Amino acid sequence: MISILSELKVPIVNGLLLGGLYGIIGIGMSMIFGIVRLINLAHGDFVILASYFSLVTMSLIPISPLLTLIIVIPAMCLLGFIIQYFLLNRTLGKGMNPPLLIAFGISIILQNLLLLIFTPDARTLLSSLSVKTIPIGSFINLPTIYVVDFIAAIITVAFLSRFFNRTYMGKAIRAASDDDGAAQLMGINTKTIYAIAMAISAGTAAIAGVLVGMTFTFYPHTGPEYLIIAFGVVIVGGLGSLIGTFLGGLILGLAQILGAHFLGPGFQLLSGYLILLIVMTFKPTGLFSKG
Amino acid sequence: MGFLRAYRIYGIILIILLLASLPFWASRYWILVALLFSLNLGLSQMWNLLAGYSGLVSLGQQAFIGLGGYTLAVFSIYYGFPISLSILIGGIISVLFALLISAPIFRMRGVYFAIGTWTVAEVLRIIFSNWKYVGYGMGLFVKPAYKLSFNTIYYTALFTGIASVAIVYFILRSKLGLGLMAIRDEETASETLGVDIFKCKLSCFLISAFITGIVAGILYLHNIFIQPYSAFGIDWTVRLVFITIIGGIGTIEGPIIGSFIYVFLHQWLSEYPSVSLLILGIIAIAVILSAPRGIMGTIQERLGFEILSPRRK
Repeated sequence: MISILSELKVPIVNGLLLGGLYGIIGIGMSMIFGIVRLINLAHGDFVILASYFSLVTMSLIPISPLLTLIIVIPAMCLLGFIIQYFLLNRTLGKGMNPPLLIAFGISIILQNLLLLIFTPDARTLLSSLSVKTIPIGSFINLPTIYVVDFIAAIITVAFLSRFFNRTYMGKAIRAASDDDGAAQLMGINTKTIYAIAMAISAGTAAIAGVLVGMTFTFYPHTGPEYLIIAFGVVIVGGLGSLIGTFLGGLILGLAQILGAHFLGPGFQLLSGYLILLIVMTFKPTGLFSKG
Repeated sequence: MGFLRAYRIYGIILIILLLASLPFWASRYWILVALLFSLNLGLSQMWNLLAGYSGLVSLGQQAFIGLGGYTLAVFSIYYGFPISLSILIGGIISVLFALLISAPIFRMRGVYFAIGTWTVAEVLRIIFSNWKYVGYGMGLFVKPAYKLSFNTIYYTALFTGIASVAIVYFILRSKLGLGLMAIRDEETASETLGVDIFKCKLSCFLISAFITGIVAGILYLHNIFIQPYSAFGIDWTVRLVFITIIGGIGTIEGPIIGSFIYVFLHQWLSEYPSVSLLILGIIAIAVILSAPRGIMGTIQERLGFEILSPRRK
């Protein structure tokens, strides 16, 4: 038993750290699902678009990828706002399919735009962090970048949670999500609120994109892979709770790394997908939802 | 419009004759265009049956395309089965797989169904690219298909394309179609009046899996090479969604017009496939925002003109 545990300690720790990154990929999608009742099928492409934004910024100014967030976050927020305000808001109240299919269209447009500009070559955001490891005693060597991902995820969750509980805008967004009719009567412009929510969601995608770019290689067509991960995080974690989303990320990360450990690296994604399908079948409201 | 309505049957026969006679007078290029048109028509008409008439927005049609293609490859290469039989088995395996996944997948609704079907296709993609029997990610060459003439493949594709339109037409005029329209108009009321919602939707899901598997087999006679990343890729469904939305979701003629536009753009911009997808994406978004019923749906709304009316007179 102890030997199994000591053999598994590396995949378990790596899985949990990777789960932090997954949490941050899923958190923006969870917000939009909760607030606008929209599954943003372009969320994965937002993440990859942010990776490319960071790549371009780094080629213009030689700074560390993490510092490019100063430029990438506002750029993505602006894009998110525009897409929600001018495209998705126009489909509100027209049923489920139009917004879903518009987001799908945006996803395909982004992928092919990236393909045209950047060619299908693999890219990565190089930094000194990518190769270093942090030794924790003689116990384990942690890849520095995974630790950075995890810490960034915790900071983002803490920041969002403060924003939604303490600020006027955060409360207005929650009000619009609970009952948009009543919120409008209280003088809240729900359409603007939705656009701001999408801006914040795209901002979290920006953070996720820079971290993904530093941790893995990416291509113009990588977006959908992260979309399914994000959806998995949302479903497993359940709606409406930032902590649940974060836990959903940890579960998926752990499942993938353990799947790769036992079945081989080709099956890393498979175990995550299977967990998603099982949760959708038996408890579609998520593992951590109330009721 | 009465004139058009009276003569529409001759119009349909004329178009079919035109397509069928292509090998006798047209260049190989135009036969190829008509071949691609027929294949896309067959596939998108099946997505239309699901999303447009049954409310099942599937993003996982590539599961059946991959299964149909791989069954053709495995049975014709490994076991020397006749090609026609291999394609038919491809359809049957698609149906069996659809039946297998229907139990969990029909517990999912709306967006969950969309992502669920997509995830199932992704699972197949991973399994096939790690499966020694089908040559891992390297793929397989459907060598037996070299024996077939180009015209044979064209006629098979054309027949399947036309058949897919006919099948949807007759489904809509049958009891199943009546049930589907009742569900679409008012789901709860139709259930209390005795429409078996689950059975209606499942029938459509299985029919669509069967035809998609068959069309995929013919498609891979033409493509010759099958590989898990492309066969089980979301790109297939992207194409079907765009074709159906632009042409008119929930109309029989929609996928016909949509496939025509798709093949035209695709051939015109054949050196820049990403540009044609970009343009299709923009058109699709514009259509959803300004004419959500697509080209044919809008024409029907404005002019009351239908070529293939599912309604009984």
